[in-house]
Amino acid sequence: MNRYFFLILSFALLLSGCRKKESILTFAVGGASSELDYWEQIISEFENNTKIKVKILRQPTDTDQRRQSLATPLKAHKRDPDVFLMDVAWVGQFSASGWLLPLNDYIKKDNFKINSFFKPVIDQVDIYKRRIVALPVYLDCGLLYFRKDLLKKYGLPIPETWGELLKYAEDVQREERKKNPKFYGFVWQGGQYEGLVCTFLEFTASNNGGIVDKNGNISIDRKENIDALRFMRDLIHKYRISPPNTYTEMKEEEVREYFQNGNACFERNWPYAWQLHQGEKSPVKGKVGIALLPRFKNGRNVAALGGWHIGISKFSDKKGEAWRLVKFILSYKTQKKLALHLGWNPGRADIYDDPEIREKMGQMEILKKALSHSVARPAVPYYTRISEVIQNYVNGSISGNINPSTALKDAQENIEEILKQYEQRD
Amino acid sequence: MKDEIIRKGMLTAGIIFLVFFCIGPFIWMIVVSLSDSPDFLVRGQYIFTLKNFIDILNIRNLHFLDYLRNSLFVAGLTSIFSATIGAFAAYAISRIDFRGKILILVSVLGLSMFPQISIVGYLYKIMSSIGWINTYNALVFPYIAWTLPLSLWLMLSYFSQIPSEIDRAALVDGANRIQVFSKIIIPIGAPGFLSTVLLLFMASFNEFLFALMLTTDFRARTIPVGIALFEGLHGEIPWGYIMAASLISSIPVILLALFFQRYIIRGLTGGAVKR
Amino acid sequence: MNKEIREALLFILPLMLFILFFTLIPVIGTFFVSLYRDVTFLTRKFVFLNNYVRIFRDAQFWKSTLFTLLFTLASVSIEMVVGMIFSLVINERIPLRGMVRGIALLPWAIPSVISARVWQLIYRYDYGIANYIMQHLFGVSVNWLGSYSGAFFSLVLADVWRTTPFVAIILLAGLQTVPETLYKQAKIDGANIFQRFFKITLPSIKPIIIVALLFRTIDALRVFDIIYVITGGGPGGATNSLSLYSYRYFLLGDFGYGSAISIMLFVFAFLISFAYIKLSRLKEIAL
Repeated sequence: MNRYFFLILSFALLLSGCRKKESILTFAVGGASSELDYWEQIISEFENNTKIKVKILRQPTDTDQRRQSLATPLKAHKRDPDVFLMDVAWVGQFSASGWLLPLNDYIKKDNFKINSFFKPVIDQVDIYKRRIVALPVYLDCGLLYFRKDLLKKYGLPIPETWGELLKYAEDVQREERKKNPKFYGFVWQGGQYEGLVCTFLEFTASNNGGIVDKNGNISIDRKENIDALRFMRDLIHKYRISPPNTYTEMKEEEVREYFQNGNACFERNWPYAWQLHQGEKSPVKGKVGIALLPRFKNGRNVAALGGWHIGISKFSDKKGEAWRLVKFILSYKTQKKLALHLGWNPGRADIYDDPEIREKMGQMEILKKALSHSVARPAVPYYTRISEVIQNYVNGSISGNINPSTALKDAQENIEEILKQYEQRD
Repeated sequence: MKDEIIRKGMLTAGIIFLVFFCIGPFIWMIVVSLSDSPDFLVRGQYIFTLKNFIDILNIRNLHFLDYLRNSLFVAGLTSIFSATIGAFAAYAISRIDFRGKILILVSVLGLSMFPQISIVGYLYKIMSSIGWINTYNALVFPYIAWTLPLSLWLMLSYFSQIPSEIDRAALVDGANRIQVFSKIIIPIGAPGFLSTVLLLFMASFNEFLFALMLTTDFRARTIPVGIALFEGLHGEIPWGYIMAASLISSIPVILLALFFQRYIIRGLTGGAVKR
Repeated sequence: MNKEIREALLFILPLMLFILFFTLIPVIGTFFVSLYRDVTFLTRKFVFLNNYVRIFRDAQFWKSTLFTLLFTLASVSIEMVVGMIFSLVINERIPLRGMVRGIALLPWAIPSVISARVWQLIYRYDYGIANYIMQHLFGVSVNWLGSYSGAFFSLVLADVWRTTPFVAIILLAGLQTVPETLYKQAKIDGANIFQRFFKITLPSIKPIIIVALLFRTIDALRVFDIIYVITGGGPGGATNSLSLYSYRYFLLGDFGYGSAISIMLFVFAFLISFAYIKLSRLKEIAL
């Protein structure tokens, strides 16, 4: 008798324990520790102002995993998360899948100053079928970090072309290796993940190549790209100024740590690294400079466009409150705080002219310049599949396993297949 | 004589190999979890610290305790229910003669051969539509189904070792099947039941793919997914935290393995290993 | 329906229901989904075998299949050998036998994801212990996870570590069914230890070996956890197991294609087990 009672009780518990009515707003955000801690502060300020309770859903730092942990509940039409940050590369997929709440009505009703934002970014990324479905919280672009103390020591200027960077890196590496056998000339993200596509985009576009051609079609198999890819591979295997685990383990944080520990002369990374390099305990504090990424001899300066946009889930049960949170995060005050404390480049253009910002953040000059040279990744809904193909072949190539021209040719073939499958024509 | 020496020598070598092979990676896990930084080999300097453990237990944002709680709950419920349901079915199959018995056995065995990936896609769709994504239900129900073939097979091998004369005697005395089951078979088969529960617990605790696809955050996420996706306070893979979390999570199963090895082995071999 | 059958049904019903709803129906469902173009951002439509045609022309699919088969072959063969060694050891009357058996179980007892993480750290290029050893012994660092063969070997080793205990236990059960008298007789006849092993032990436990082989093969074919954690399918997609490949499509939102791949995996697993069973029965008849 006791046995049955126990069984029934546990079954009841089981069924009851599934869903509790959540009366709080959930906000999914990821990033490094300093960023998340600061988000907590911002959120509590919002809670105090509006009496709306918010819960932060901490996301993995790895962008692929972050996308997955958003896509899963959205695909399942869950009520949570209500508000979330999206990498610029996913907005296409999320909007085409019907997961984002159009914001036009809210913008109109509240007289939201949409014109304060970078119009080209909104036009390229945030609009789907003529409705605004996301807004930029901050913008990102690839930068060149360098050890200005080392360049000074060896009497070298800031490199403008990849050829120059190569030479300077080799020289510095040769000398520094005498004391520090782990020293490498140039560290960059070559691991097989989304970031590799940005790196690839920068190298190729700086050679007048790129992922998307003049007509807006995805075209990988071009001579300019092959040459750029070959150069990327040679950095590791031929010139050896980049470490062998570039293509296995090097992602943003690994690269940043390597440079920050004083083991590299040049670094390709996003703007967030600046703050950390200048941090209290940083071994390279005060020794770091930033510049635009180099170009190939006849090419142009480019920077991959990154950044995070904020969106509201179409399935949220608290859309009004969600919009208030979005407005708060995008307000001049909050955006300025995020810039000052986390070194973020605001999505709002008007902040760049703020005197305090200009004074405290010297890098804003370079950033604004870099942003004007930014290139975006294709904004198609099946972008992740394209990205995987590119990651696959580019990583295979820089690891020395596939010949660059073969890699890009095969990649293009794969991409054609994907286009056939996912470009909806009916 | 020489033969004996060779045998003893090989046996000793075998034991040493076994112990080092099995324990080696654990030692590495423990050493890293107690280290200030995972690259101490290269740095040449090892700093002992308990910070990793303290952090993962204290920092709410890392959700480690949530994952542990979820895992224990889900594995506990699954193992008990699955073993019970398996015991019921095994009883019927081992005692009662009915048509289709073999068919049921073979098809259950066959279904267990399905790769989980062939199930999880549609399972995800089902769970989405009934709103069970990211709940305990989303895991427990599929886990029960997934472990039932094992549960059935194990309980069957135990029950078939209990002579049916006992049943017959009780039935003749006027008891019905259910009473025979609960008052006689279960008490006798208790060690077997325990072995089954242990094995099912371990299987559910360790399961990854279903949990990866059917849960989305700390409210239902389990340890394996938590550890696979573990991101700590500094962005890069926080090896110290991962190893500390791994160690703590392994403790339940390590204790079970060490102290109940006899039951586990008995379970895996259907009682064949006696000594 | 007589009373007996009614009672039997009562006992069996819970099991049938669970398996029906959470195993059988999902599998059938997956099969049907594979006949559709089912993508989150496109309209759903019936395409019959189109996904399978696509699979046939998908080079990456065949690469994954090849990897999965090779991985299974390598992993299972090594496990059987090492598992055999372990089972022989723990079969003996050694001091602290219980402890040794417990230790032998450990790699299998802990979650596969955890053991994958530990191995991932072991193989880490700049500060993992594997390269530390390599540096000290040979003065080189190996790119364990960065080369095709390195990644393959690394994954196989990690998998062998984790699953050998399971094989060892199964074989142990078999070892204990071999009567002591056979060995005694052989010793009297002058057989040495190797002869005893190959002429008596192996043939006696052949059925158990076949069972262990079958289970392990099916398990290895559907490998997912360790690959997801250690290499994520890299480098360059070289270590994409079929399960992982299918999962990637689910992530993208293409349930149709992902389901089709998973069905193919099931078909392969089925064919291989079928072949196994046929072959082993033939052998027994031949003997």
